[in-house]
Amino acid sequence: MYHEALLRLLQLADSALPVGGAAHSFGLETLAAEEALGPEGVEEFLRDYLEEAGTLDAIFVRRAWRGEDLRELTEEFTARKPARESREASLKLGRRFTELVNALTGAPVLEAGLPYCVAFGAASGVLGVPEDAAALAYLQQSIAGLVSACQRLMPLGQTAAARILWNLKPAIARASTLQEVSCFTPLLEIASMRHGSLETRLFIS
Amino acid sequence: MNARLALRFESDGGRTRLHVDSQEPPWKVVRAFPQANGGSLVHLHNVSGGVLSGDRLSLDIKLEPGAKAQVTSTGATRLYRSRAGAADSRHCTTISVGEGALLEYLPDALIPFSGSRHVQGTSISMAAGATLFWWEVLAPGRLAAGERFAFERLRVESSVRVAGRLAFREDFSLAPRGRPLARTARMGQYTHMASFCAIQEGRPAALWRELEDKLNQMALHGHWGASMLASNGVMVRGLSTTGRGLPARLIDVWRVARRFLTGEEAVLPRKVY
Repeated sequence: MYHEALLRLLQLADSALPVGGAAHSFGLETLAAEEALGPEGVEEFLRDYLEEAGTLDAIFVRRAWRGEDLRELTEEFTARKPARESREASLKLGRRFTELVNALTGAPVLEAGLPYCVAFGAASGVLGVPEDAAALAYLQQSIAGLVSACQRLMPLGQTAAARILWNLKPAIARASTLQEVSCFTPLLEIASMRHGSLETRLFIS
Repeated sequence: MNARLALRFESDGGRTRLHVDSQEPPWKVVRAFPQANGGSLVHLHNVSGGVLSGDRLSLDIKLEPGAKAQVTSTGATRLYRSRAGAADSRHCTTISVGEGALLEYLPDALIPFSGSRHVQGTSISMAAGATLFWWEVLAPGRLAAGERFAFERLRVESSVRVAGRLAFREDFSLAPRGRPLARTARMGQYTHMASFCAIQEGRPAALWRELEDKLNQMALHGHWGASMLASNGVMVRGLSTTGRGLPARLIDVWRVARRFLTGEEAVLPRKVY
């Protein structure tokens, strides 16, 4: 990978990127509130999550990177997300990411209205980031965001969180390469659907 | 066994008439029952009692413009154990809902027996002004026989396209031995899953949001949630530790959505749940 492309990828996949990722839990907040998920179950949960939703995201990163029609990818990806809050979260992050990339590059690299994974894949392609690296980096930042959400939702310390993220590297690598579109996360989807009815909420989704 | 059933519903002066364009065993449709709203009710039979190893079943349902139909099954779809080396059984349903037509597709549960391998595909296309109410129930196996996620593989591929635009798509492959379903990211403590879609072309997003709120406010026993889809519809998904109450919950959801979208009461199929 060219050095500049690597550095750009590191910046775009940094959890400090100002796209608003810290405001979303994608249903985790409901699972924590309903005591379906505690600190001892986070690693297993995220490993399974990677096999399902993570794989789906990575496939869309790759398809966008390869230059498939971004409007069609957006239509398909959003149709695959029945839970409104999680779908809208992905679109909000995608919008902020698009605005940021266009502002940083000084060019209309990305069009508006893309979900996060599609925008990330398309930007990576334009910026010369290799496809495999784009898929891996997207999943890494996605899982880092969910671990961070768990730290705010339950007693999960920094070292334990870092260990979880470390231990999940093989699962991230595997999810980034799976080809078959398959996503089965009904409990998480329902959690996202029920999120709006929680009495107190830390997260938008 | 390769078998095709093709049903066509035609609106004829306020009544809907059934045409059976193709009917190959084990498929069997005995007759259509007229409904009070002018629609037509059809029960689908599989006279072999279930889907056998290697079966390739196709079901085509076409509603001509303005037709109204309710299609249900006479019982759960049993997926029998697959023979070693045999191809996965397949059941492909293709549905076309014409302009201004209304379909209620309300099949009974899918029960994958121990050792079964199956692919279930449902592809629905809807024209302008068309309406769809559709539910599905997935059971874990024959619980009474001690089976619980003992099937080998189940692939489900579903899509709904409304006036050319994809409103809903879902693909999943379940292989419980390699990917346990009793996990928080999948089904958690639950064993049965129900899904319900209400889709109608041409309605504004605000209306779907209102229906989403209405459905989420229902006090449904079990673990349920409702959400508007990316376009043209709403989905309700439920998880339960038993299949016993699911039909009643789905009927409750269907009633609310039916009244909200069409102003008419849901009329239950002539069968015992």
